[in-house]
Amino acid sequence: MSGLNKDHGKLIHMLHDTQKKFGYIPAHSISQISGELKISESEIFGVLTFYKAFALEPRGRHLITICMGTACHVRGGVQIVEEMERKLNIKVGKTTANRKFTLETVNCLGCCAIGPVVVVNGKYYSNITIKKVDAILKEYQESE
Amino acid sequence: MIIIIDGKKIEVEGKRTVLEVAREKDIFIPSLCDHPQLTPFGGCRLCIVEIKEKRGYPPSCSTYVENGMEIKTKTPRLQELRREILELILSEHPNACLICSEKENCDEYKSTIRKVGEVTGCVLCSNNGRCELQDVVETLKIDKVKFPSVYRDLDVKKGDPFFDRDYNLCILCGRCVRVCQEVRGASAVSFVYRGSEAVVGTVFDLPLLESGCQFCGACVDVCPTGSLTERGIRYEGLPDERAKTICPLCSIGCELKIDLKRQKILSSKPSDEGAVNEGQACVKGRFLIKDVVHSPRRILKPLIRVNKKLEEVSWEGALDFVAQKLKKFKGKKTALIASPQVSCEEYFLLHKFASEELKTENVDSSYRFSPLAVFDKMAKENGLELGLNFEIKDISRAKTLFLIGEDISKSHPIIWLEVLKAVKGGAKLIVASPEELSLSRYSALWLQIKPGTEFYLLSFLSKLFLQKEQEADHPRIEGLDSFEDSLDKLDLSNVFEMTGITREELKEASELLLDTENAAFLFGMGLTQHSWGSRNVAALWNLALQAQAQLFPLGLENNLRGVFEIGRNSSDKGLNLNQIFQAASSGELKALYLAGPAPYLKKANLELLVIQDSFVNENFEFADAVLPASTFAETEGTFINGEGRLQKFNKVIDPLGEAKPDWWIISQLARRMGNKGFHFKNPSDITKEMIKIVPSFSNISYAELEKGQKIFIQEETKKERSFIPLKYSDSHYKKSKEYPFLMFLDYSLDYYRSLSLSQESRGLKAIRDSRWIKVSLEDAEELNLKEGENIAVESSSGKFKGFVKIVKSLPKGILGASFLLSEDSDFSVSGLIPSVFQESHSLGMLPVKIKREK
Repeated sequence: MSGLNKDHGKLIHMLHDTQKKFGYIPAHSISQISGELKISESEIFGVLTFYKAFALEPRGRHLITICMGTACHVRGGVQIVEEMERKLNIKVGKTTANRKFTLETVNCLGCCAIGPVVVVNGKYYSNITIKKVDAILKEYQESE
Repeated sequence: MIIIIDGKKIEVEGKRTVLEVAREKDIFIPSLCDHPQLTPFGGCRLCIVEIKEKRGYPPSCSTYVENGMEIKTKTPRLQELRREILELILSEHPNACLICSEKENCDEYKSTIRKVGEVTGCVLCSNNGRCELQDVVETLKIDKVKFPSVYRDLDVKKGDPFFDRDYNLCILCGRCVRVCQEVRGASAVSFVYRGSEAVVGTVFDLPLLESGCQFCGACVDVCPTGSLTERGIRYEGLPDERAKTICPLCSIGCELKIDLKRQKILSSKPSDEGAVNEGQACVKGRFLIKDVVHSPRRILKPLIRVNKKLEEVSWEGALDFVAQKLKKFKGKKTALIASPQVSCEEYFLLHKFASEELKTENVDSSYRFSPLAVFDKMAKENGLELGLNFEIKDISRAKTLFLIGEDISKSHPIIWLEVLKAVKGGAKLIVASPEELSLSRYSALWLQIKPGTEFYLLSFLSKLFLQKEQEADHPRIEGLDSFEDSLDKLDLSNVFEMTGITREELKEASELLLDTENAAFLFGMGLTQHSWGSRNVAALWNLALQAQAQLFPLGLENNLRGVFEIGRNSSDKGLNLNQIFQAASSGELKALYLAGPAPYLKKANLELLVIQDSFVNENFEFADAVLPASTFAETEGTFINGEGRLQKFNKVIDPLGEAKPDWWIISQLARRMGNKGFHFKNPSDITKEMIKIVPSFSNISYAELEKGQKIFIQEETKKERSFIPLKYSDSHYKKSKEYPFLMFLDYSLDYYRSLSLSQESRGLKAIRDSRWIKVSLEDAEELNLKEGENIAVESSSGKFKGFVKIVKSLPKGILGASFLLSEDSDFSVSGLIPSVFQESHSLGMLPVKIKREK
């Protein structure tokens, strides 16, 4: 397969770029990438649905990721999620109507010592409690 | 190296997996995801073994043998682990029937059928017990599943042609995903989503029709469960008989296994032992065989015209009638047309019958524009003797491939698999075609050529080559000087505009072609169907000499080569196919014996028309007698495939109704007309006589053929290599104000005798309909044409109807349509072509206009 697959390693990078540009992976990008890298659309779809980093629907401006790994879970991660859902009035995996926030969970971020962990747009918030949720949201609600 | 499996010493050579070696030595190791045609996967973990001095329990399917390995396959620990693993698999697969304690009795009396969940029971699984999962459950003796059972309740996908997909039964072994990617190159399905949501699916869960599926059925054949099942046999039960034969639907000659129940064909599957196809088939061989043989359009009784109406008669009556009539029309006033889809024996007899009984030299078959005939003619004209034989397997070894004039992913899918192997090994594929191929992502370069301008493309490439070559030091081939001279004289100044290909693309093509040691040039009808086809082939021949490439002429019909070889040595004084139709319309010809597809004969002016065919067709309205011929499945004989291999095909069922094999009909007629040379009891008598008489069969031994060997026919292999000086007169296609479109005729192979496959099978129709008129996106937008809309296309001599098929890759101003001789007269492109009835015959492009239909 050597000859054919020389460029196949670029797939993840291209998906990342697309995700960054649009906030999700639009259908037309899949066919574009398919033509470029000579990989079938179904295969690309298989890859992008495997990773949580890619979304098929537009995400909000701010992506909130809550860790549900074992350590965060036992320290109250579930409650953080519930609080976020209440505050944003959406379920996990969804985006607020004003397209400002998308709420997602992740299985482990690898920084168990500082859990429960919430990540917003790549910025890590450690030792989160229900009380701190409001402050985090405020930070982004005000910024445009 | 020596390894030990279960205490048995085994000698092994090469890189083999433990599972492969064990299988070969009949040591059973349960497995579900492994398949001999696919690369090791290690997904199901059932094939785990214990290996001395290796940690854990490695899966035998992906562990390669090493010298001195000591392997145990059946320890109690292994069996326990396997049962555990299998229970986990079963927890997501309906298993009530699999583990029911009354399973055995239930099979016979259905005693417990109501006690298990109906929807989830084996009784209602369409695989009817042909289930590898079930086999493994039995060998591992599972009688309970301790995990909670999960039914995923996914929608069963029933919207695609030919097979249903019920992923509730899927065990995620990945065989379908791998066969689609590794072997077929389509990658229409893939694992999508993750973890407990993982499922086999397509992009955005689109139907297979929209995700690049070729409907070859390879996934259905490798599925170990009932997830993927052929719809046509869902409720038919198990076959009671199985036979092997050769597929007659293209020139590759795949060996098929035919499943039968009460003398009816249930399904056809590729045979692993097939010399050419090795366990693979295509949509036609896999799904259409039973539709062809059991078509409602079959004619099952002889008919003769009595008082202007066709009436059923006995064979005696029909044969006497035809024999009597034919006696009156002997000699030049009679002609016979045969199908290139009948066996060698039958074609041989038709020829013999024409010359001995009809006393005519007017015998032909529709092979005249095939790459074989044009290639051979070109060689003869130039004093060369070229071989037509090749081996499909050689294609996979090429480093550069040049494909011109055929979409082989549709017309020759098994050859496409060899191309794919080459490409996956690093070879570069260059494609020259007007329309993008269905799996174009495998080509390194696509030259979008205006049909009919191939000569310019090839000559220009030759010129680029010569410029480069002067620097290199190649052995000189005879005729180079005069070839160079002829190239110099050729005006190629507007080649880019003419062909529609840019200078950069041409340069890239020449570099790819020059930079290789092992090139293969594949060419089809698109190159040869023009009236200047032989000059196109000469140009390709020169280019192939320059690139030191092997040429592969790709014929269409299954026995084209056989028909060609048998007809090769007969005199060519008689009328050819076009001249026959021309003479028929002018009234010169009085009687026509039609044993092959012909255009609608409305313009013909005949006194006697006899049709020997298997299917009802348009020309019946002019016939004086119709003799019902059986299909390939109801007789035996030999076909020569595109490579030049003589293969014996077997009788699968008895002839339907009163249909009789072609050889029987011809023999009976000849005998009735007083000929004593037709006393054949069975086709093998004819084979023996044919081997004696036809020169290219002189190396064939009947005994070997009988044993099922596939023998290459003999060929003069004096391979003289010399350039051919190019001759050319300006003759590319021109449109006019009145007829602003050029329509290219695609010699579609979607027919069997006079049956149009896409009209017979709804499934094939959804994939590619012979009534599609391909329109470019630009033209469709300009004319506001919608997909599927009824339109008509008109040329100066007629019109035909069809449905709009928008093809994005087609250039503006070009239309495309299938050329099928046997199509319904309203939809038949042949109605457009005056030249079918004319001497100067050009079947490349036609100037036409589009008309809206109500």
